[in-house]
Amino acid sequence: MRELPDVLKDWEAVIGLEVHCELTTLETKMFCGCPNTHDAEPNANVCPVCLGMPGALPVPNKAAIESIVRAGLACNCEIQKHSMFYRKHYFYPDMAKNFQTTQGPVAFCMYGHLDLDVAGEGAAERPDGTGVDKAADGSYTTPVRILRIHMEEDAAKMNHLGGEEGRITSATESLIDYNRCGTPLTELVTEPDLRTPEEARLFMEKLRRIYLTLGISDCSMEHGSMRCDGNVSLRRRGETRLGTKTELKNINSFKSLHDGLAYEICRQAEVLEEGGVIYQETRHWEPSRRRTVVMRVKETADDYRLFPDPDLAPYDLTDEFIAHCAAEIPELPDAKRDRYMADFGLKRADAEQIAGDPDCAAFFEEAVAGETTKGAATVANVIVNDLTGYLNAAGIAISETSITPAQVKSLADLLASDAISSNQGREVFGLMAESGDDPAAIVDARGMRQVSDTGALEPIVDAVLARCGEQVEQYRGGNKRVVGFLVGQCMKDSKGKGNPKLFNQLLTAKLEA
Amino acid sequence: MATELDQLSASAIAAGVVAGDFTATEVARASLAAIEARDGEVAAFLQVSPELALAAAKATDDAIAAGEKVGPLAGVPVAFKDNMHLVGTRTTCASRMLADYDSTYTATCVSRLLDAGATPMGKTNMDEFAFGSSTETSHFHRTYNPWDTERVPGGSSGGSAASVAAGEVPVSLGSDTGGSIRQPAALCGVVGMKPTYGAVSRYGVVAFGSSLDQVGPFGRTVGDVALAMNALVAGGRDPRDCTSQDCPVDFLEHLDDPVEGRRVGIIPELMEAKGLTDEVKSAVEGAARTLESQGAELVEVDLPHMGDSIAAYYVIGPCEAFSNLARFDGVRYGYQEPGCATLAEQSSRSRAAGFGPEAKRRQMLGAYLLSSGVYEKYYYRAQQARTLITQDYAAAYERVDVILMPASPRSAFKFGEISDPTEMYLSDMYTISINIAGNGGISVPLGLGADTHLPVSAQLVGPAFKDRSLLTFARALERGTDAGAGMGDGAPVAPDFVGRGGDLA
Repeated sequence: MRELPDVLKDWEAVIGLEVHCELTTLETKMFCGCPNTHDAEPNANVCPVCLGMPGALPVPNKAAIESIVRAGLACNCEIQKHSMFYRKHYFYPDMAKNFQTTQGPVAFCMYGHLDLDVAGEGAAERPDGTGVDKAADGSYTTPVRILRIHMEEDAAKMNHLGGEEGRITSATESLIDYNRCGTPLTELVTEPDLRTPEEARLFMEKLRRIYLTLGISDCSMEHGSMRCDGNVSLRRRGETRLGTKTELKNINSFKSLHDGLAYEICRQAEVLEEGGVIYQETRHWEPSRRRTVVMRVKETADDYRLFPDPDLAPYDLTDEFIAHCAAEIPELPDAKRDRYMADFGLKRADAEQIAGDPDCAAFFEEAVAGETTKGAATVANVIVNDLTGYLNAAGIAISETSITPAQVKSLADLLASDAISSNQGREVFGLMAESGDDPAAIVDARGMRQVSDTGALEPIVDAVLARCGEQVEQYRGGNKRVVGFLVGQCMKDSKGKGNPKLFNQLLTAKLEA
Repeated sequence: MATELDQLSASAIAAGVVAGDFTATEVARASLAAIEARDGEVAAFLQVSPELALAAAKATDDAIAAGEKVGPLAGVPVAFKDNMHLVGTRTTCASRMLADYDSTYTATCVSRLLDAGATPMGKTNMDEFAFGSSTETSHFHRTYNPWDTERVPGGSSGGSAASVAAGEVPVSLGSDTGGSIRQPAALCGVVGMKPTYGAVSRYGVVAFGSSLDQVGPFGRTVGDVALAMNALVAGGRDPRDCTSQDCPVDFLEHLDDPVEGRRVGIIPELMEAKGLTDEVKSAVEGAARTLESQGAELVEVDLPHMGDSIAAYYVIGPCEAFSNLARFDGVRYGYQEPGCATLAEQSSRSRAAGFGPEAKRRQMLGAYLLSSGVYEKYYYRAQQARTLITQDYAAAYERVDVILMPASPRSAFKFGEISDPTEMYLSDMYTISINIAGNGGISVPLGLGADTHLPVSAQLVGPAFKDRSLLTFARALERGTDAGAGMGDGAPVAPDFVGRGGDLA
């Protein structure tokens, strides 16, 4: 198969996403009072309503409606005052009533958009001259329209035992856990505006940051509380008609979304270039084998016999209700990122990473309280590099660590004032994480404070220059990089306590003199 | 003084229990004895619940002995249609599908009657999942009309109507989706009321047509029906049924108000409809004169879209039924066909064996009507018709307080007499439009028909949530008819069953 960049020169990929997100932060399920948690014993959080017992009736969860309206407002959607729930019928044991209560043609949230900023390597996936204006560094911005975000209920979870790969077809037994049945679930559907796997990945990341900031879900792709299906078709560059699409399922990470779509684009291109036909089908991404395989072929559209749910009155949202939801929306990630860049001079990537996680942003804001611009940039640096690396290695969230914003601030202050080098900074971070001690105390106890007094450093520099005549000759011969070796010698002589930046300055000044 | 239970109204029983004339336990035993003596021939019950009855009666007696306040239905024996959940009983919906289904919770309508002090005697027969007008589609057995056991009791709440007509209980509950309370009440000669949609909670009542279903009481007197209505709406809106509404009304308060000067609508076209028998027609005309003689004014009104109601009903009802009954797949509960190789086969064969012909017919009809391409043609237009019918009624109620019409076009028919489903559907020609519009309706006995000598009834229908006014007119009719038909206070127990078992010492 050809590589993606090559394929996308000849073919335009048309990608749309369907993103399901469980509202995990709500106390109760969508239409009953059962606890909205999945960590209980199987079939513990159930009642006549979510088990579909005869005679049971749904009562909608108002907090869920508030959550989806907030999501819609944050995604620039038009909030539909009048909408209703419908019943979507299919026979499968994961749906206790054999219909899913969902929304009809009019969803609570319609016609929104998110603007994607695409930069870095991923921006190169989109060839020049394909509808976006690229900046000198190759970055570009592109809008992605959102058709709708609607409210529905999740199905139960099934475990198929026996047979191959947990599929029902050859299972000897199928176990059903109805704890998940009735979980409030939102579904966002984009217009087919995405053109590269990178854009799809960025859209999901951006949406996840927004939902996390709104506090409506834990957005775990790993645990399935946020799930994504990708629809993709190809057409020759310049063609306006849409090709036949395939639907990609089993995407449980951003990487899977990107790589699955990239594979599918290349696969379709190969089939089409060989004169073959793309079938409208659902395909399953196998991350371990890095390929997609057919799940089922859709020969005809499913007939879900949608009709308005007679147990649930139509909604007429008031202006007051919508205003109340709007007032509950905190500062969104993009605005927060821009503020961090403007107020603290953070690099865009750092600002975006911190602003995208509400816990991380809160941590950052506590650590930078009263900081200078330089101090704030250093705090950001420690968070993005040291802290994130530490948390990833430990497999915990920022809310779960014992490291405090005050400790990070203390470490950043030591770094910003050149009291310790960045190498020492990493060492101190490790000691701090291990012991829980304050970084300043660690540095003092270990005598790590680096010397930034030129008076104390000059004799060392002079001694090194006198000793390393060969390197001095090389420098003066034009090999300026040799200064690095000389800095290293100075650091060695100072037992690592000298400020390497100052050594560099002193050495350069003396060599150029 | 020896008293026959079947000669007492519910209010007289409650008063007697409170006064200490007899105990709730004695009443419960009398009701059990009456059921024992009579139900072999009536077969109104699918399940009698003596343990529950005696336990509830004892609780009432203990409360009275302890000087506690008891509810307005203290010691009153009641029966529940078998689509209403009551923990300690099966809820079968008269279907093989749910033949062994134990109630996992108690329906709000049931618990409200029990909270008012009622004694639960058991569960009554019905058409399977309430699909029918004769109780003949019950999977288990027929129910026999106490006035003539060769005839049907009507349906779908046939068991509930028959149990009251036979004097086994003074009050029972039914559910009415297209006439399933009012038509069997008419055929059994008892009072049966379908309140306004939303007045009574549907929680725990197995759904047939969610937008049409409404629970209501049967009794031999209008007063007993009003008493039961009070209990059903006590406690206000049910938070478990978001289509229910608060109904803060005392239905007994204005029961005996005069109807003088009030306006009763008559729809001439309905009185000339094909299928309406002469005896029912003349009885309803007599009822109009009764009200007129009490000072009410008769006003002719027109419901131009009434003719579309059966068509609209047989679109909306089956669509909702298809959807509501989709859950019966044999996976979590209910009948499960053994030995199936695949899930699809298990669902399919369980449903094939678990449902009777009428239940299958309605679900297949609904599945077809909701399918894409067909939906727009039928369901959408049925909803438009529904709007027009509702508007017709609203316009009529600007001119009248209540409308008088037949409840059933004819008196009770014989078993097997009507075998064509569409002809059976015409049994509900006078009742269906009320479910379409959502208003209240009540069936009031007018004595025996001149030709068949079987019970005939009038139906009074009123504006939404004016159910108290409906009861006032029903009471006026009852009062006027008493004099003419010599019925004493309310409708009599069917003569073949009067006094059989059920002595209150």
